[in-house]
Amino acid sequence: MSTLRRASLRHLWQHPGQLALALAGLALGVATIVAIDIATASARRAFELSLAAVNGAATHQIEAGPPGIDPALYVALRRTPLADADPPPPYQPLLSAYATIGERTLQLIGTDPLAAAELGGAAGSAALGNPEQVRDWFTRAGAVVLGADTARELNLAPGADFELEVAGRPVRAHLLAVLDPAQAPGLEDLLLTDIAQAQEWLQLSGRLSRIDARLGGPAAVAALRDLLPPGTRLEPTRAAARESFALTGAFTTNLQAMSLLGLLVGVFLIYGAVSFAVLQRRPLFGVLRALGTTRAELLRLVLGEALLLGVLGALAGVALGVLIGRELLQLVTRTINDLYFVLAVREVTVPTPTLAKGFAAALLCALTAALVPALEVAGCAPRLPLSRSVLEARATRLARRLAGLAVLLLLAAGLTILGSGRSLFGGFAALFLLLLAVAALAPAALQALARASARLTRSARLRLALADIGASLSRTGVAVAALGMALAAMIGVAVMVESFRVSLREWLAETLRADIYVSAPGPAASLGRRLEPQVIAAILATPGLRAHSEARRAHVDSAYGELEVNALRLVPGSAGAFRLLQGEPRQAWPAFDRGAILISEPLAWRLNLHPGATLPLVTAEGLRGFPVAGVYREYGNERGELLMDLDTYRRHWHDEALGALGLYLQPGVDVPATVVALQRAARGRQALFIRSNAQLRELSLQIFERTFLITRVLYWLAAGVAALGLLSALLAWQLARARELALLRTLGLTPLGSAALILTQTLFMGLAAFLAALPAGLLTALVLTAVINRRAFGWQIGLHLHAAQFLQALLLALVTAAVAALYPSWRASRVGLAGALREE
Amino acid sequence: MPRLRIRGALALLAVAAHAAPLPGPAPGFEPVLAPRALHFPADHGPHPAFRQEWWYFTGHLAASSGERFGFELTFFRFALAPPGAAPAGPSSWRARELYLAHFAVSDLGARRFRYRRKLARGALGLAGATGEPLAVWIDDWRLRAAPGEEGVHWHVSASEPGYALDLELSTDAAPVLQGEAGFSRKGAEPGAASYYYSLPRLAARGTVRRGGAALAVQGLVWCDREWGSGGLGAGQAGWDWFGLQLSDGSALMFYALRTRAGTRAPFSAGSFVAPSGHAQPLDSAQVRIEAEGRWRSAEGTVYPSGWHLSVPSLALDLRLTPELTDQELVTTPRYWEGAVAVRGQRGGTSLGGAGYVELTGYAPERPPGTGSSLGPRLAR
Repeated sequence: MSTLRRASLRHLWQHPGQLALALAGLALGVATIVAIDIATASARRAFELSLAAVNGAATHQIEAGPPGIDPALYVALRRTPLADADPPPPYQPLLSAYATIGERTLQLIGTDPLAAAELGGAAGSAALGNPEQVRDWFTRAGAVVLGADTARELNLAPGADFELEVAGRPVRAHLLAVLDPAQAPGLEDLLLTDIAQAQEWLQLSGRLSRIDARLGGPAAVAALRDLLPPGTRLEPTRAAARESFALTGAFTTNLQAMSLLGLLVGVFLIYGAVSFAVLQRRPLFGVLRALGTTRAELLRLVLGEALLLGVLGALAGVALGVLIGRELLQLVTRTINDLYFVLAVREVTVPTPTLAKGFAAALLCALTAALVPALEVAGCAPRLPLSRSVLEARATRLARRLAGLAVLLLLAAGLTILGSGRSLFGGFAALFLLLLAVAALAPAALQALARASARLTRSARLRLALADIGASLSRTGVAVAALGMALAAMIGVAVMVESFRVSLREWLAETLRADIYVSAPGPAASLGRRLEPQVIAAILATPGLRAHSEARRAHVDSAYGELEVNALRLVPGSAGAFRLLQGEPRQAWPAFDRGAILISEPLAWRLNLHPGATLPLVTAEGLRGFPVAGVYREYGNERGELLMDLDTYRRHWHDEALGALGLYLQPGVDVPATVVALQRAARGRQALFIRSNAQLRELSLQIFERTFLITRVLYWLAAGVAALGLLSALLAWQLARARELALLRTLGLTPLGSAALILTQTLFMGLAAFLAALPAGLLTALVLTAVINRRAFGWQIGLHLHAAQFLQALLLALVTAAVAALYPSWRASRVGLAGALREE
Repeated sequence: MPRLRIRGALALLAVAAHAAPLPGPAPGFEPVLAPRALHFPADHGPHPAFRQEWWYFTGHLAASSGERFGFELTFFRFALAPPGAAPAGPSSWRARELYLAHFAVSDLGARRFRYRRKLARGALGLAGATGEPLAVWIDDWRLRAAPGEEGVHWHVSASEPGYALDLELSTDAAPVLQGEAGFSRKGAEPGAASYYYSLPRLAARGTVRRGGAALAVQGLVWCDREWGSGGLGAGQAGWDWFGLQLSDGSALMFYALRTRAGTRAPFSAGSFVAPSGHAQPLDSAQVRIEAEGRWRSAEGTVYPSGWHLSVPSLALDLRLTPELTDQELVTTPRYWEGAVAVRGQRGGTSLGGAGYVELTGYAPERPPGTGSSLGPRLAR
């Protein structure tokens, strides 16, 4: 090792606190990225595994509209060759629904294991083990198979008889066997049963939800397509799977953006640490240059230190990221389960690219951050290191230039928003430009603020403190920039979440008009989610009802892929529950009654449809165009939905089932008492969700809160990184000022006074960061609500401001600043004056 | 004979053989305890009172161009529950029976062996069997009586990737009742028996499709029919089955049951059908068989390959040579079932012929419960 390198290492070693903080900041930034990646990758992997377990080697799937597929089609297909020379391809019939065991919801898969085995689906073939198991699978009432882990969690052993709920009805099941996860991965949280049993439980006489197929090539696909009756469609399995997971696309993009923010703050930290480490050694470097060390050698030295920091930070960050990722996965899974589909994640997947990405990010950040100080050092003349004053003068010039850059960044952000059309990525890019602008503006703002405040105050001490901030811009500026950026993001996110919450609450109040809602359990648009006719009769016979609305949700195919239909029979006069954003109510509703549809705002955005357009849907009779009469506000479904009159729906899809009722009570009738009466009416027939208007509202808001929990966790992580940054920068600055303070002490400053001085300075900087973050945070909130939300989900949110959103940020800024002042204050109060002044 | 089928197919579906340690009949099913009169065409059809049953076709076909093919097409019926048992539910997918079929083609010119398996429940018309008119099917693989025809005028069809078979089968000869007037014992225990008859020389005419090309073919087909409710005799490991159609118009069937100790079990038996159609039973002592070669499959199983078969009492001396060495079906269980060429003499006169040999119990079985008995192989 060269002397140069040894000197460098020794320097780092002699400043462990500084080193640790820089490392912690970098590690936390990297960890956030890695954690998000791990959580989303694990969720995706679990999703794919469970699909593969059911689908096997299927290449395509046949689906039909709401009433499902007639099994005669399956029988006929198995007999029909798709080409002269080849036998018919393997098919697998499937009926999927949801079942509840206790508190746990599982995906119920009804399949034919013989067909599944032919297709290579683990779900089916794993169901056949020993001879008794085969016999019982087909002939024993209630026979099911579960993954071993799921069975253990439910306290069920093979041979157990237990009760479960399918479509709200209690049924008896018998656990035939459990499947070893090593042999049948992806089967956890699936409840496998024979297709006959699934049909009996769902009371779907003979219908199938899907037929999987393995097709040899485009010719077979075309031939099969020709064979299919109207109302059915053939889709590549992968595309269907992608589409299912793509449901979560906007959600995962959101997460990744948040993690980048964390890293960005990390870059500032590294910059602060490296530049400080360099500045401390300016005299040394000057001497080294005089002794013959070349510029290139110095450059290499500084960059080498940064690289070392980067590697250490990457190692720590990746390890930390894996840990955080595990925890974050719980949150991600819960959100997916709340909003999208039932998913159990058993394994934490750590993708190699993620680790590589984490490493690369750490190294890149470290090197980028070190480049400016390194170039500066390399540029300094032999023997004549720049004095601090020259350096700070330079920093001031730089701050001014950065302020100019900030204006350009702001302009770029605006142009990006305008120029990126509907691109979500463009929205996030603009957001980052905006945050960078905040960072670039912060040093100049800090200086200006410090000077202005100094002019306003009469206290000499305060003036001294403020002047010092302005004069040490190379350090204070960086700290304030990092904190300001984090605070701006924090304010933006808080405003966005609160705005969304208020909009949602208003929308719920407007939309939920009935006093009581009754619905069959299960995912909104699943085939099995229907109220039984005798249960409907019993409910409607309950005394105290004035009127009721009827609803059925279904997935139908369209020229744009699968869409969710909300078929409704409204109570007269309740059309106001749907606020039309486009289209004239006086024309739209009569058209609706005649067969036109209304589309929700997210759907209108996604498909770029407006009133007057025609939406082609695949009905039971084939493709048919439906005129769009209006666009309504809807926050419940980010993929969007379309509203259709129940009679129109029944006419075109031959589906008489109802999924939900909205009950309007006569004046003076007690709601809770009626809920109890309704529960009694349905008892023993079908388990239903019977909720009062208030309960439903409460539940919707709860789900909303859970969804944004992750966002909250992430922004606290980002804020944590920023706080660390401020801490490390302030600490470094204050420690370097030990001599100055000692001088002040000889001039009469008491230990307490020096602590107060330090505290004043850090608090001022925290305040400055906050002030810079205020307008920036508002801008960020605006971008998040009006650009990001619009582009991700299609809906528009009104901006709602709240003091708490800002107070939180202020609190964070001040607390961080105060904490940063603690150690230097303590040191300054105990410093040995002689020692500190010796060099003077 | 049990032709693989009891042990093989049942293990395959894992329904009965392992489940019933004693070969006695399963409760609720009719046991096979004594001879009974067989009536045709009724007995060509299914026997739902019994637990298992099969229709087994093997044959040699030749096209006018000289192309030669061997094939195996089998249908198995397995009852999951006795006939009177109430179904567990009302779904139209509820099934009391499962059906299994194997279809294998030995393309002798191309020296290629291809096979496929089908499994389906007896519900919704996916698979099933009816007596009058005779029909047995899984999807588009079927056996059915030609409409309007009396006697044995059947139609069989099946397809697998690359090959499809479509044949008319007919014979005027009466079925050959194996064993004691069709009562075929497999072991000493009561119920270790089945009803068993053969149609050893069905005239076949039809087409073999290879790739896109249809070849007109004709040839001779052997049909075995067997049903019962019990399993194999105790201590038996497998069997070697021979069905030979000789050029002088005669036919010979023999099954050698092998014990776990490697010796031939005493219940091994067969029959010889003279050109006149007269059939005489053969007991184990009358038939000598020596394996003349061995073949090791890719999976490491060693099968005998090539035989010297003689029946001194008939002055019959034959050498059997596999048309292809590899005619192994890698299913669960694995077995070898292949076309053989026959050369030899009877009463000093040299003759030729063709036949099928089935070898079971050579490959080690996976213990039940280790994953799917239907296995990934099915994906072929």
